[in-house]
Amino acid sequence: MIIDALKYLAYVLVFPGFLFCFLTGLLLCGIDRKLVARMQKRVGPPILQPFYDFFKLCGKETIVPAAANRTVFLIAPLVGLAGLVVLQLFIPVFSFSAFSNVADVIVILYLLLIPALSIIIGGASTGSPYAGVGLSREMVTVLSCELPLVLVLLAVGKKVGAATGTGLCFSLTEIVRYQMANGSLLWRLSMIPAAVAFLLVIPGETGSHPFDAAEAETEICEGMLAEYSGAPLGVYKLSHAVKLLTMTSLFVMLFLGGIGGRLEALVYALGLTGGAAGALVMLLSVLVLFLLCVLLTAVAISLVHAVTARLKIEQIFKYYWTVVAALALLSLALAWYGL
Amino acid sequence: MFKKLIEESTGKSPWLFHINAGSCNGCDIELVSVLTPRYDAERLGFKLAGSPRHADIVVVTGPITAQSLPRVLRSIEQVPEPRCIVTMGSCPQSGNVFRGSYSICGPLSKYVHVDVDVAGCTPKPEAVIDGLALATKILQEKRRAMK
Amino acid sequence: MNMLSLQHFPIYSIMVLFLGAFLIVMFGRNKVVRHAIALLATFASFFFMAALFRPVMLEGETIAYWMGGRVPAGGYAIGIALEVDALSLFFGLLVSCVVFIACIYSIQYMSHDDNVPQYYTLFLMLAGGVMGLVLSGDLFNMFIMVEILTFAAVALTAFRNTANGALEAAFKYLVVGCIGSTCILAGTIMLYAQVHTLNLAQMSALIPGNLSTATKAAFALLFIGFCTKAFLVPFHPLAADAHGAAPASISVLISGVLTKSGIYGLIRLSYFLFQSMALGTMQFWLVFLGSVSMFVCVTMALAQHDFKRLLAFHSISQIGYVLAAVGLCTAFGVSSGLYHAMNHTLFKGLLFLAAGAVLHETGTTDLDKLGGLSKKMPHTTVLFLVGAFSISGIPPFNGFASKWMIYQATYQKAVETGNIGFLLVTICALVTSTLTLASFVKVTQSVFFGQLPKEYENVKEVPFGMRLAMGILALMCLAGGLFPDAVTRYLTEPAARAVFSVTAYINSMMGQGYAQSAMAVQPAVPEMSFASAGVWSPISWLCLLMIALLAVTIVAIAGKYDRVSVRTPESLSGKYDLFYGGEETVYSQVGGDDLFWGFKHNWRHYFRFMHELHSGVVNDYALWAVVALALAVVYALIVL
Repeated sequence: MIIDALKYLAYVLVFPGFLFCFLTGLLLCGIDRKLVARMQKRVGPPILQPFYDFFKLCGKETIVPAAANRTVFLIAPLVGLAGLVVLQLFIPVFSFSAFSNVADVIVILYLLLIPALSIIIGGASTGSPYAGVGLSREMVTVLSCELPLVLVLLAVGKKVGAATGTGLCFSLTEIVRYQMANGSLLWRLSMIPAAVAFLLVIPGETGSHPFDAAEAETEICEGMLAEYSGAPLGVYKLSHAVKLLTMTSLFVMLFLGGIGGRLEALVYALGLTGGAAGALVMLLSVLVLFLLCVLLTAVAISLVHAVTARLKIEQIFKYYWTVVAALALLSLALAWYGL
Repeated sequence: MFKKLIEESTGKSPWLFHINAGSCNGCDIELVSVLTPRYDAERLGFKLAGSPRHADIVVVTGPITAQSLPRVLRSIEQVPEPRCIVTMGSCPQSGNVFRGSYSICGPLSKYVHVDVDVAGCTPKPEAVIDGLALATKILQEKRRAMK
Repeated sequence: MNMLSLQHFPIYSIMVLFLGAFLIVMFGRNKVVRHAIALLATFASFFFMAALFRPVMLEGETIAYWMGGRVPAGGYAIGIALEVDALSLFFGLLVSCVVFIACIYSIQYMSHDDNVPQYYTLFLMLAGGVMGLVLSGDLFNMFIMVEILTFAAVALTAFRNTANGALEAAFKYLVVGCIGSTCILAGTIMLYAQVHTLNLAQMSALIPGNLSTATKAAFALLFIGFCTKAFLVPFHPLAADAHGAAPASISVLISGVLTKSGIYGLIRLSYFLFQSMALGTMQFWLVFLGSVSMFVCVTMALAQHDFKRLLAFHSISQIGYVLAAVGLCTAFGVSSGLYHAMNHTLFKGLLFLAAGAVLHETGTTDLDKLGGLSKKMPHTTVLFLVGAFSISGIPPFNGFASKWMIYQATYQKAVETGNIGFLLVTICALVTSTLTLASFVKVTQSVFFGQLPKEYENVKEVPFGMRLAMGILALMCLAGGLFPDAVTRYLTEPAARAVFSVTAYINSMMGQGYAQSAMAVQPAVPEMSFASAGVWSPISWLCLLMIALLAVTIVAIAGKYDRVSVRTPESLSGKYDLFYGGEETVYSQVGGDDLFWGFKHNWRHYFRFMHELHSGVVNDYALWAVVALALAVVYALIVL
């Protein structure tokens, strides 16, 4: 009983909870900044730069504007971070899943709204007009991403459900297990458009270039964050980094889950058994997941960042509801007719 | 331990907020050039912040015109501690060629404590980076002195 | 017969409300007496319903009550009957509970108005009308109750007749409401002429086997009639006007209770009287109507800049969810639809009460004029946020639990039937949910957060009684979201079972074996499966969130996160002012009207079209009603 409780506590606090999110999230963010710099022929900041930024912000003065609602202003960032970390607990690491029977992908879709809401409400509580404009744009960005995301998740649910004979399957653990047995979904014809669509949704969901109209620092002073300073700002920056991890690892689990099966096969081919094999599989899984996240960040965020300029908010909406949604819809239609 | 970590980090992640106090735009362009691939101040952790609330270092350019003075002071006030104020170019230090004009209230040091002056019309990017690096050191000192 | 036997409870729970209405007319001059009567009557009504919970919901009994003991003789039910199965009780409980809470709220909310006795009389008439409608076992009595509640609602809409637009709203409601009532009356007459009985149970046994042209037309008439009561899509502009003009406590009843009576009527009509739900096209039309309602009304809501009008459109949007789920004709679908109906009543009640609180303190509900009230009304803000998160389907609140079930149910139906139309409904429902969130973000920003205008500096928190009513609803919203299993097991699943057990309904009224002998075709009972494909356990999630939040908070407090600098009154520096690019603080609230410009710009043609369509002229709306009726008649004659 106590052992169980401690185990769950370790899940929340260490892996795949806080510590893991904190380290990998900020690391991903640092790698992204470095990559963008290299793509622009710059030296770029050190990879640990986001850690420096975070700790520096912790050491700064926190100014609560006189017009702001103090309680909401301070609590909103914390709720957003906690919600995001809890969400990360439901995303399995290949065969390992900390909590497999709490939330399925449709729930995860809505849990993803909680961090966005926390930043919206935190910004709104300051009463700054920049925050007003920023939250309007943030909400429209969320709306834009919602339709393609919904279509992608339904397509995956239908595909896996049809293959396993249950009709439809929304459990992420099941989806990963299916892929580990039958190979990654990314290599199926019907899932390729969905994967591309999801890849395009990642920068929108994380609010990075060119879909960062909500936090445009040159025109609306980082929008909802305009009045935040010190530690709360640091928490928001951390949330942003963790969201990077969440979205990329969600992609890995939805479309590249088959790699987990390969890993297990590899370890067993080495002739290992028992606890040592389990530990090795776990270690390799985390490592591979992290590498894949880095790869996805490089493709979906850094590369896109380096080659595009910021879009206007109505262009973002139009782009997602036409191009990306069409890709996802194509995938859904293909999955529907059994391809 | 955390105190040390925060101190270290303060020196490695200075965010800039740029205030144009009636500048001719020469210094402004030169400041941006500091962030270009050639000089790449981002490798030292520098970043342009959109709002004074996020900033550590305030870079002021221009001769502090009467129109801009209250706005400059208000913006500087809104930067959270620890903060550094850097003047860039000769204008905010001496008024430069605008000195003596009825509409000039400079130098900036009359109103707030200026930590670093980077002289020149306009200063070279190397000089700017040097000044900013100095400001970062001062920032770290200020952080150490806090609490 | 024992006067306290459960048999009598349904009629008591209707009677106390009407009795209360008459007593208030006579003795309502005194404030204390008036409030006592109203509270007592509404509470008693709720009590009588709650007492039936055990036998009906848990033990599956159906309570049949014949007024004056006139039981059916010679195979014909002539007497007036009340029949309470789990479906009726589900709606009855919901209605009486919300009526009681609205009554608590009214006491302080209406304290500044004139003619308060009349208000309570009409309030209780409206409540009694809805109770009578959902408990009645007789089609003609359903019509009578529809008339009572419609006229009470019209009068209450115009209650604050000095307010701008109240009379106009009441007039529109009267016109279209009367079209609806007339349809119901005409349908009732036509059915009576065909089957020579008005008893619901007996009609359910006699109609499905022998459909004539007249009964088919009657179906269309009744269908449109109940659609009007639920304000479904061609009738939605009325709701906006009526909710906007009526006092908030009445808006709660109109949106939470009156629309439910329409849904109840539709269920009784299509699942019981005509048993037409087995038809694929019938399912399609109900689901289609639901989806159109949910989507059109949420976009209409996005374009509103009045708090209550916005809520009114959302109300119909949520009813769209209910109808889409109920129209699926699967056990899981009906159960999730009823669950959403319940949740809608709770959170929409909460939201209307919050809007009423804002109106009570500031005197306006215009989103463009309000702002920054969270510092003045912190409790109302929190309660409003609970309601807003619930309606937008944010976990762990109740709206999410039921919407999540609806997504599963529609998608399951799509997979089972292979019909891609149901898949589109799932997508529509998922996207509508986010659009709902968007419009509540707009309200949050432009009423509770953002900048406080000068004229509202002296606004105070609302009195305790109003906060109490909102608090009860907020707790119920949270509980409904955290314990979906309990709610479905004890409330919605029995009700969903009742929807599919027509034979039992007929037999408990007309005597054992009547259905088997009288019905040509025995209705097929579908497989009663309430299993869903997904997993969601809100309690575990909440525990995890609490642990995570605790961890973050401990770290934050240890790191002196809360040691922040807040302006002391004597410091005059600009440090704590908002950043305006260096300028002095000026009032520049980002108004609600055009907040989602990026979205609306892309949909401008659609919005322009809708704007032109909703002319506000009552003739147009009456025309829509007639066209809808004509379409329904054509459909019924061809397909049924």
